[in-house]
Amino acid sequence: MASDAVTKAGLSSSAGAQIETLRSRYPTARALLLPALHIVQKENSGWLPETAIEAVADYLELPASEVMGVVTFYDMYHERPVGRHRIRVCTNLSCMLRGSEEIMEALHTELGVEEGVVTSDGRCSFVHFECLGSCDTAPMMMVDDEYHENLTPESTARIVRELK
Amino acid sequence: MKFEPVLLKNINNPAVLTVKGYRDAGGYAGLAQSLKLEPDAITEEVKKSGLRGRGGAGFPCGMKWSFIPKGGNKPKYLVCNADESEPGTFKDRLLMERDPHSLIEGCAICCYAVGASTCYIYIRGEYTYAADVLEAALRDAYDAGILGHNVMGSGFKLDMYVHRGAGAYICGEETGMLESLEGKRGQPRVKPPFPAVVGAFGCPTVINNVETLCNVQHIVTRGAEWFKSIGTDERNTGPKLYAVSGHVERPGTYELPMGVTLQELIDICGGMYKGRELKAFIPGGASAPMLPATMRGIKMDFDTLAKAGSMLGSAAVMILDETTCMVRAAARLAKFFAHESCGQCTPCREGTNWAAIVLGRIEKGHGLATDMDLMLRMTQNMSGTTICALSDAAVGPARSVVVNFREEVEQHIKEQRCPLPQQRFFGNGAAN
Amino acid sequence: MPTVTIDGRALEVEAGTNLVDAALRVGIEIPHYCYHPRLSIVGQCRMCLVKIDGMGKLQTACSTQVFKDGMVVHVDHPEVKAGQEGVMEFLLINHPLDCPICDQAGECGLQDYSFKHGQSFSRFSFEDKRTYPEKERIPLGPNVLLNMNRCIQCTRCIRFTREISKTSELAFFERGAATEIGVFPGQPLDNELSTCVVDICPVGALTSTRFRFAERVWYLDKKPSLCTGCDVGCNVTLEHRLGAIKRYKPRFNPDVNDYWMCDYGRGTFERYKQLPRLAAPRVRRAGELTTVSWKDALDAAFNKLRVRGGSEGQPAILGSGFLTTEEAYLWSQLARQVGSPHRSVWVDSGPPRHIPNPQGGITGRDAAPNRRGAELAGLTPGDGGFDAEDLLVGDAAAQCSVLIVTDSDFGKAAHDPKVIERLRRAKTLIVLGWADTALAQAADIALPLATHAERDGTFVNAENRLQRFARAFPATGEARPAVEALRELLARFDTKFTADSAAAVFDLMAKQIPALAGLTYSSLPATGVVLRPTPSSPTVSGTDTTALGSAS
Repeated sequence: MASDAVTKAGLSSSAGAQIETLRSRYPTARALLLPALHIVQKENSGWLPETAIEAVADYLELPASEVMGVVTFYDMYHERPVGRHRIRVCTNLSCMLRGSEEIMEALHTELGVEEGVVTSDGRCSFVHFECLGSCDTAPMMMVDDEYHENLTPESTARIVRELK
Repeated sequence: MKFEPVLLKNINNPAVLTVKGYRDAGGYAGLAQSLKLEPDAITEEVKKSGLRGRGGAGFPCGMKWSFIPKGGNKPKYLVCNADESEPGTFKDRLLMERDPHSLIEGCAICCYAVGASTCYIYIRGEYTYAADVLEAALRDAYDAGILGHNVMGSGFKLDMYVHRGAGAYICGEETGMLESLEGKRGQPRVKPPFPAVVGAFGCPTVINNVETLCNVQHIVTRGAEWFKSIGTDERNTGPKLYAVSGHVERPGTYELPMGVTLQELIDICGGMYKGRELKAFIPGGASAPMLPATMRGIKMDFDTLAKAGSMLGSAAVMILDETTCMVRAAARLAKFFAHESCGQCTPCREGTNWAAIVLGRIEKGHGLATDMDLMLRMTQNMSGTTICALSDAAVGPARSVVVNFREEVEQHIKEQRCPLPQQRFFGNGAAN
Repeated sequence: MPTVTIDGRALEVEAGTNLVDAALRVGIEIPHYCYHPRLSIVGQCRMCLVKIDGMGKLQTACSTQVFKDGMVVHVDHPEVKAGQEGVMEFLLINHPLDCPICDQAGECGLQDYSFKHGQSFSRFSFEDKRTYPEKERIPLGPNVLLNMNRCIQCTRCIRFTREISKTSELAFFERGAATEIGVFPGQPLDNELSTCVVDICPVGALTSTRFRFAERVWYLDKKPSLCTGCDVGCNVTLEHRLGAIKRYKPRFNPDVNDYWMCDYGRGTFERYKQLPRLAAPRVRRAGELTTVSWKDALDAAFNKLRVRGGSEGQPAILGSGFLTTEEAYLWSQLARQVGSPHRSVWVDSGPPRHIPNPQGGITGRDAAPNRRGAELAGLTPGDGGFDAEDLLVGDAAAQCSVLIVTDSDFGKAAHDPKVIERLRRAKTLIVLGWADTALAQAADIALPLATHAERDGTFVNAENRLQRFARAFPATGEARPAVEALRELLARFDTKFTADSAAAVFDLMAKQIPALAGLTYSSLPATGVVLRPTPSSPTVSGTDTTALGSAS
């Protein structure tokens, strides 16, 4: 855990505090699960180790199996380490029609790793993704929370090179 | 085509990101007017307008509101479906990023009409920027007294929250969304009971799409008759956002009267990409059966497209030109549905995956002579046999490629290869 | 009550009845996998599709409830048949079809329905089958093994742990075609009811660690029986082959164990393998244990018992909770014959075992099935009589002319050398039972009895429910059902005594014991009968010592 202060369930106190600010929004504690997983994942370098999943389960008093079921259901939760920068390339039809496969190739060439593999310096990992709702600016990719649109293989390489 | 935008009128005015700027542009007049009306009167007006859901199913919006039981001691909820995930669709993101208060206003009017005092805007997890914009707009609205315990001084109490998804197409299905909101896997529920009776947290719930709700204030301020005057006919009314992508010169979100033809749409988008020929189009997102170029004159509304064996869906129009391999396009969409099936119903869990395998092998030149029949029968068995519509959605492209583009599929199987020259988009033209 | 018509047959059902249950009442089986009467309805296997007049699409019978008159349902219909065939095909495309090495073969929902509702060819090419590598043999917990390749994702097991055992160890992971069931790492499927998930798994995905590869199910003979693990009285199907019990499966009884039983109970028959069998009657002659005939052994016992009064003390009977009600009754009659007030029953108290049922469930606290029946039948101390504690803890045995202990494995104390030594102080020690325990070795007369699989009788459970069970196979060797042996012993006191079957003894007993008034063995309901406590003591009425028909 990132923080030295830890809640009873093993979450950092800052994660606990962020979850608590949301509690009054929902009639059930369980509804906090998706937001809580987002918060904890962000704190854990973008992924959810088993200990973190268990801590969220304990904190919200839910069975760990069901929390794991939720984590594995959604594409945005990761059970394995990811790069410092997570690159998601939309490869659905609209982007495919506008060259997304060449963007994937460009990333492969630029980063020198296969899809889903973290670069040896821990800087990046890239994956193909389903439609990200930016079809008018295809092809596109999402780097962390930011959209990069109207890509070319050259601009893709440039964007990636600039990532710290 | 001349059309004065309604839904997109503010999108190039960054001032509307604040309550003040939005008000200056005429915003929140619809809510103010609504709060002076009887709630039922608003529902009636929306019913009269003929507004149909813009999320995909096209269900009459006012009727949906009227299903919410009156009174009762359970809280009622509005869940705004901002889980825009249908491939090809990007219109709701535009509305949320550029005109968030129009959504907040629409949500508030709906809540007042059905007696809900809590609204969740369920936004897909990938839309982080839109979520930030909405969060900021909500804070502003609370500060301005537009939300909270006394909405615009009317005594009506309303809380509104952004709830982020985490990457699952199926959460756009309304009961999958409710499960997800409740902190579960987004597996659609068996209906009945319908959400209007047992929805979020076991309480009566309305679920409406972003674009649908953005129409509401205009119906209140300008009246149902005005709304009905736009569109093809009584059942296909109002302005419509068409999200056009693929092989056109200027892809984008275009607001047009319901029922514009495909050819008009292509023309508005600056024509076909590099002047190539139209081969096929998908009129309503990945779920909509693919139609051939010969149907370019079709009116893009709910009923005309349904009659033609496709659907308006989310009005995500994907344009495919002559260089496109239809099997490849269908295989890509099949892969999408296989990835997004929640996995609970047998025909969908197994069928989406099988369809992806079979279309994949045809595309790679390993198709079997029996694969056409297999696709037809398999998709038949996937139709109407599951809890939600994802299975039927997956059938859309998988079946239509075999039905509408039979020769091309046959050629793949017969020649054991893709008959089209391999295209690279960025490489120099053809062959790789 | 609303009326529904299914395949042309109209029937009235309670409002809210689903179509699977309704159809079953007129003998129509609607195939299903995910539906289970005690689990929430998820409607996801899609096998129970039916056609309902006025509805465009096929509907799932499990999730369709009858509320109003006039619903017309078709099961035998071409559209329904096509729907079922479609679902079966989808279920089988990724199934490994490894029936020859699958433990479920012979009782598999996929085999059964593909025979009835499937088609005889497959359109799926083998190389495309989905597999879950490394997931063919995952221990989910101590009792259950998962083979994910065979799973059809019906979620019965998941719902069981959420809704019945309320332990939530199991969940769905991943989604789409990759959907699998599993446990959170380090939190295994380990609850008292865990093996029930094997029972409700319609395919061979979940198998029992205990039963796995023990036997091909089609070789097993089955008999309705009762679990002897505690006093809940779980109804079981006793499955056996060649004189050995192979497994217990819960047998549906909504008033007792519903569809369930506990893991402990399922293992109780292992006891028959753990202890050596008492094979033949034995009598101590000149200090040596000698195998004798039943007749000689019973004569020896009779001779010891017929001596009445005197300084040697009186005979005593220490029964157990493993006696059937009928056996206990005969023992209490014997006590009356010899005029002894020393009648008692010892039952270990076990850890509480809770079995859920629609009424909330039953908790068993005894480590034996029939303390209540044995006491009801008269094995309680008379005036000045010793109770079990006097014998096991005190030195009452030393004051007995004859001490009869039945059975040789009545509880933990039966294996405690100190207790054996204490019981041994009786002038004569007679031990009966199926097990050749140290206690049986210490006896002057040891009589081999049938196990509960080898005899008939009744037990009375924690809720005073009297239930019948039946002999599954004959006793091995010289062992005999206690009722037969006791008839011969009692006949030595009273030649007119002829009741030599559990049924005959029960019917006799029912005339004597008010709580059983009006009952006959042959007419006992299959789900048992709750005995009404009578205003007077619920034991044999009065002090009538002529209960056997005539006084000696």
